[in-house]
Amino acid sequence: MQEKNPTLSLNDSFIEAVKNNDPQVLKNLYVNNYPKIEILVLRNSGSKDQAKDIYQDAFLAVWQNIKQDKFIPKSESSINGYLYTIAKNKWLDVLRSSGYKKTIVASQLGHFEIKDEENNDIDDDILKDKRLEDVMLAFKNLGQACKSLLRMFYFEKKSMKLIAEELALDSASTRNKKYRCMQKLKSLALKN
Amino acid sequence: MDLQHITQEELEYIEKYLNGNLDPLDLKQFEQRLQTEAEFKSKVEDIKTVLTGIETQALKEQLDIFHEDIDNVSNPPEKEDTKVHTLNWKRLLVAAALIITAGSFWFLGGNSNERLYANYFTPDPGLPTTMGSSDNYDFYEAMVNYKQGDYKTAIAKWETLQKAKPNNDTLNYFIGVAYLANKNEEIAIPLLEGVAQNSEFALINDAHYYLGLAYLKADNVEKAKASLQKSNVENSKALLSELND
Repeated sequence: MQEKNPTLSLNDSFIEAVKNNDPQVLKNLYVNNYPKIEILVLRNSGSKDQAKDIYQDAFLAVWQNIKQDKFIPKSESSINGYLYTIAKNKWLDVLRSSGYKKTIVASQLGHFEIKDEENNDIDDDILKDKRLEDVMLAFKNLGQACKSLLRMFYFEKKSMKLIAEELALDSASTRNKKYRCMQKLKSLALKN
Repeated sequence: MDLQHITQEELEYIEKYLNGNLDPLDLKQFEQRLQTEAEFKSKVEDIKTVLTGIETQALKEQLDIFHEDIDNVSNPPEKEDTKVHTLNWKRLLVAAALIITAGSFWFLGGNSNERLYANYFTPDPGLPTTMGSSDNYDFYEAMVNYKQGDYKTAIAKWETLQKAKPNNDTLNYFIGVAYLANKNEEIAIPLLEGVAQNSEFALINDAHYYLGLAYLKADNVEKAKASLQKSNVENSKALLSELND
């Protein structure tokens, strides 16, 4: 095994930016990689909407894997390749599913190399966790006030001080408000 | 999920741990509890799931907003029309204001170059960094800086590569547009002029367009028009027709 290349620390800031949900970095990644995947899905019996769904699923999986250090990209281009592979595998799963098997003939899959041995170890199952799904659904349906408060904390990663200022509250009330919002979210998630 | 029975303090304590913000002593204690108290451990796992869920759903909703931009790009005619339309409208307003306040047409020339430039200039979006080949690694690494708006770093990295390949059009083109984006049209112009001479260059239309913009920024309207004429980029035609008015 080769030692990790020390010059790769140049990309640390990029990986950190992804982990911290830097809006510009995430947007660039998202926008730049979409066209290739749209072409892949459109050429293989899919629609634009399906391309979007598959791509977003893949994007979330890649972001999760980077956050949890399951995938440590060596450069932006290695993220691009990884994202493409996950999206491709997800689309293959759709095509192989029983609903599709009936309507798609093998020859229509011309652009795929069905066997993709080297990428079989890619783990993109994080999002299949039922409890995570419950929380996501609960958060989706949470009231607007709580939703935006929790979003600022956990997604935008704004400081308590800044959020308190934005809400024109003192920091103790903001913390308490956040706690109560979390309780609300949890009770919603439990009902699912 | 047994999350109903957790105090505010406990929640904040666990969050601190998950965000890696516990000091070493607390961290040691925390990890000990994780090993010995199964209930505590499952509480921590649950909170981790909740935080991940919030973040993931928030990003998911954000992706739809990102996607709107893609939809806009893939329907350029509509966008182009509205843009030209609003530009004309703004132009009339500015012109009217100038006539009324300054009472002179002559100001219009100098000011409108700046304004047209500002209206039309958006940095070249750069190349998608999808190629994995290692010989291009340095090039694409600088492309990442460029896309992040760090033109200085991008230029420095590309100029290092340029020493080995002084006649590489792609390299010269991106150094040129990076200088232009960094408000340094004097350096951008000769680079883009060089690139624009190669009619085989893949980005030749963009090169003419950005060269035209660079001339415009330098107040050289005649040369700007000549360059824009050679480009088939939509914006180029729109800008040219404004210059010819």
